[in-house]
Amino acid sequence: MAVKVLILEDNPVARSFLCRVVRESFSDTIAITECGDLESARGQIRIAGGASGMHGVDPFKLILVDLELPDGNGMELLAELTQYPATKVVTTLYSDDDHLFPALQRGADGYLLKEDRFEVLVEELQKIVRGQPPLSPAIARRLLTHFRHSRNDAGGPAPESGFTTPIDFAGTTTPVPIEKVPDHERLTPRESEVLTYLSKGFTIKEIASLMGIKWFTVNDHIKSIYKKLNVSSRAEAAVLATKQGLV
Amino acid sequence: MTTAHSERTAAPSAEDAAASGITDSAWIETALGEALSPGALALRAARTRLMLLLGLAGAAVLVLWWHMLATSPALNLQLQQVQDGQLTLQRSADPALQPAWGQVLRAVRADGGPPLLVDATTLSRSARWQVSDAARQIQLSNRERLAQLLQQPQVTLLFDDGQALRVAPQPRGMAGLGPGVWLLGALALALFGAGVVVLLGQPSRSSLLFAVMALAEATNLLLISAETLPGWGQPTGFAAWDLGGRLLADAVLCVALVQVMMVYPRPLAGLRRWALPLWLLVPALAALHLLTPVPGLWWWAQGGMLAAGGVALALLLNSRRQEANPLSAMLLRLTAAAVGTLLLLTLAIALADSAGLAQHLVATIGSIVWHIFVAALLMLSPFLSRTRKAARELAMLAGVCTVACSLDLLFITVLGFGQAAAITLALAVALLLYVGARHWALTQLAGASGLSAERMFENLYRAARELEQSPDRAGEQLTALLREAFDPLELTRSQRAAQRSRLAADGSALMVPVPQLGPSDATAGTIVLRFAHRGRRLFTSEDLRLTERIIEQLRRAVAYDRAVEHGRREERARIAQDLHDDIGARLLTLMYKAQNPEIEEYIRHTLQDLKTLTRGLAAGNHRLSHAAAEWKADMAQRLAATGCDLRWSFSCDRDSQLTVVQWSGITRVLRELVNNIITHAQATQVEVLLQVERQRLQLVVSDDGCGRAPQGWSHGLGLGGVRKRVKLLGGDVVWRERQPRGIRCEVQASLISERTEPT
Repeated sequence: MAVKVLILEDNPVARSFLCRVVRESFSDTIAITECGDLESARGQIRIAGGASGMHGVDPFKLILVDLELPDGNGMELLAELTQYPATKVVTTLYSDDDHLFPALQRGADGYLLKEDRFEVLVEELQKIVRGQPPLSPAIARRLLTHFRHSRNDAGGPAPESGFTTPIDFAGTTTPVPIEKVPDHERLTPRESEVLTYLSKGFTIKEIASLMGIKWFTVNDHIKSIYKKLNVSSRAEAAVLATKQGLV
Repeated sequence: MTTAHSERTAAPSAEDAAASGITDSAWIETALGEALSPGALALRAARTRLMLLLGLAGAAVLVLWWHMLATSPALNLQLQQVQDGQLTLQRSADPALQPAWGQVLRAVRADGGPPLLVDATTLSRSARWQVSDAARQIQLSNRERLAQLLQQPQVTLLFDDGQALRVAPQPRGMAGLGPGVWLLGALALALFGAGVVVLLGQPSRSSLLFAVMALAEATNLLLISAETLPGWGQPTGFAAWDLGGRLLADAVLCVALVQVMMVYPRPLAGLRRWALPLWLLVPALAALHLLTPVPGLWWWAQGGMLAAGGVALALLLNSRRQEANPLSAMLLRLTAAAVGTLLLLTLAIALADSAGLAQHLVATIGSIVWHIFVAALLMLSPFLSRTRKAARELAMLAGVCTVACSLDLLFITVLGFGQAAAITLALAVALLLYVGARHWALTQLAGASGLSAERMFENLYRAARELEQSPDRAGEQLTALLREAFDPLELTRSQRAAQRSRLAADGSALMVPVPQLGPSDATAGTIVLRFAHRGRRLFTSEDLRLTERIIEQLRRAVAYDRAVEHGRREERARIAQDLHDDIGARLLTLMYKAQNPEIEEYIRHTLQDLKTLTRGLAAGNHRLSHAAAEWKADMAQRLAATGCDLRWSFSCDRDSQLTVVQWSGITRVLRELVNNIITHAQATQVEVLLQVERQRLQLVVSDDGCGRAPQGWSHGLGLGGVRKRVKLLGGDVVWRERQPRGIRCEVQASLISERTEPT
């Protein structure tokens, strides 16, 4: 049975390019559904079992979402698909954390930069699907800030890495909450150590050797951070919605 | 006066604080304390009512006094003293006396009574300022007899040429009291009011003493006002009462003055037990005066007053030695002025008396002027930090008048000048003194502003510019500015917030709230300045206004800068968005459709340059360490894709902010160099050394590729671009061969950015 892939991209040339990338990346039989705007993508997802990905029907396994679309932002679709059991990848020209971080918060499993070379894109996509998402220093910094509140009781700061000015993310005067912070809002010491290294530009291999662990362990940490970000962001949104009386 | 009152509510703590002599937080707390509980409000209302009541009582006493003066019988005629104490009739309201105009008045007689021989002792001059005891006794008895005579319905005036004219004494009536009585009465009431306001506005020992002093001086003024009554004759018994009243008032004034200096501005240790004996001195002296006539009364009185003044000065000097409080300096000056003029006056009267010349002139005018001067000083002293320039000028003028009078008399008595010459000379000297010393004295009173306007402006400008760079440091900037402007002895920061700037502790302290200019609100609090100009002057309401202006200017500078920066950022973000969305999407399409890999790569680089450009536009400054992390991650990823190792080392002595120009310049230089290596060098390892030390950037990129003889390279778009970028950064770049193989590119540049570079 063919693996179903949804590509949401308004530029036809880019769309066909992405199709080539997807076909090149996987050995399985691929059935690609192409969409040019949010509306048709939503339609396709409804046909394939709805946004929650009901069992019994054949859902998409991989969804590539462009952010800038004629009838809205791809972020909206990501927000609707938080329960959807596919690997969701943002394809974009925007590489800065201001654009990418919100996408990751809405459950994206990774991102591809469209101007990268074909081979690079193939490799990156394979990595994402295998569970080795990319994490740029800027996004790592954002993640550290995001999880800062629960950083205090998550162990000491990461060891000095040779950079002369370590990022100070936990002053001793930060108040400690009395209530226990839920696990999904808290990074493990290992995870925050990984993030700190990433924010300083270290590669996964370098981090593995610095921390004395295998590179795929580093990778597991990154995956876990991605998940926590999504969960904590949703929790945050829910709290916000409750406060505003939306729920 | 009510404003003065409401502004003084913060002051009660001043004395407690002065006692400890340190600006501790408790002092600040109480000095800042604005929150009024309902109870405090009620108390305040009660005080206002009491103040009103006391004011009304004072006014009632004044009206009664006027009434007494107006209803006592007197003769409406003008007498002038000629040689040997004889009196001539100048003019009279009664036409019956007209034939006697210009005649010497010999005696006055009631029907059937013995005649009273008339001389200068019957004029309404206070016995208080009569030097000789015998003359005082004659004066008292003659005036009393005259008052008795005037009680009769008709009296006969006997003139030198034998005329005997009958006249009827008439009450003066309210309208006939003369301007002197009105004015002095009003001044006395005002002084009394000042005493009441100070006492109720800030009930404490020192303000009670001040009120007592004000009351004593107001009594003196009322008694003086009777001296200026037009016509001839005073109420019965007045002469004796006048002497006693004035002596009592002077004694109370002196004792209160000495006591004030014991507790204000700083309570002096170990002097408390003197308070009661000092007060007991007053009734003791009164009893002595009533029981036996004291020989040399005038000398004792003057000596006592001067001694009290001397003690007060000594106490003030002592207090000043313990704490450089500008209040004590100010009080020292005022007390010295009063005591000095009193000494001068006393000397003049004594000399005039010993020379047997016109002593009554000195005594009458001199004493009146001196008392008015003291009253002016008393009125001025509690409001020193708030007094308008005009009031200070008035006090100054009064002082100069006193000096002029004393001089006048000195000239007449000691140098034997004629009266006209003496007055002219004295006025000239006094005028010169006034013109010459006015500026000095006024600045001494208020304290000169130590900072010229030019320097102030310069400081303000500099602070505003620096605030634009770091709005978080508003407190520090303001502190530096205030320190420069007022040069205070003590300057502390309190975390407690205040609503607005205010004076505290009678102008010896200034509280300035720190404005919240920065994005974070952690800097708010209060700056407390004490003892301006190394304790030489008081803070005035002008200073308060100046401070508020300074804060306002700083606020404006920051707001303006923020608005400009906001506009810039919006504009840049819009341009970046347009470029990125339109040109970026087209370039992307073009890249996918490229005919060959070379063109595709070329467009990819163009696209990356565009992204760097737009990101630089959209983002503000980049932190050096953050930028370095990005560069490293980017290079590592791209080199890894071609199977090339990256060895990266970065160090900096300070994690500075890179401007947009610097960030995009270095980003593009690095990318171009790596592109070059990927495209041409076939290297297996790239080494990057990035070092920033003292704002100097050193970048070395070396590879182990096949490149050779860099001098012969054609500098196309890529390497030409590197040169251009480095040049823009104000640096230079060289390529060298590396042994055994490869190329080493060295870039040197300066990262010193202009401070005005937009953030």
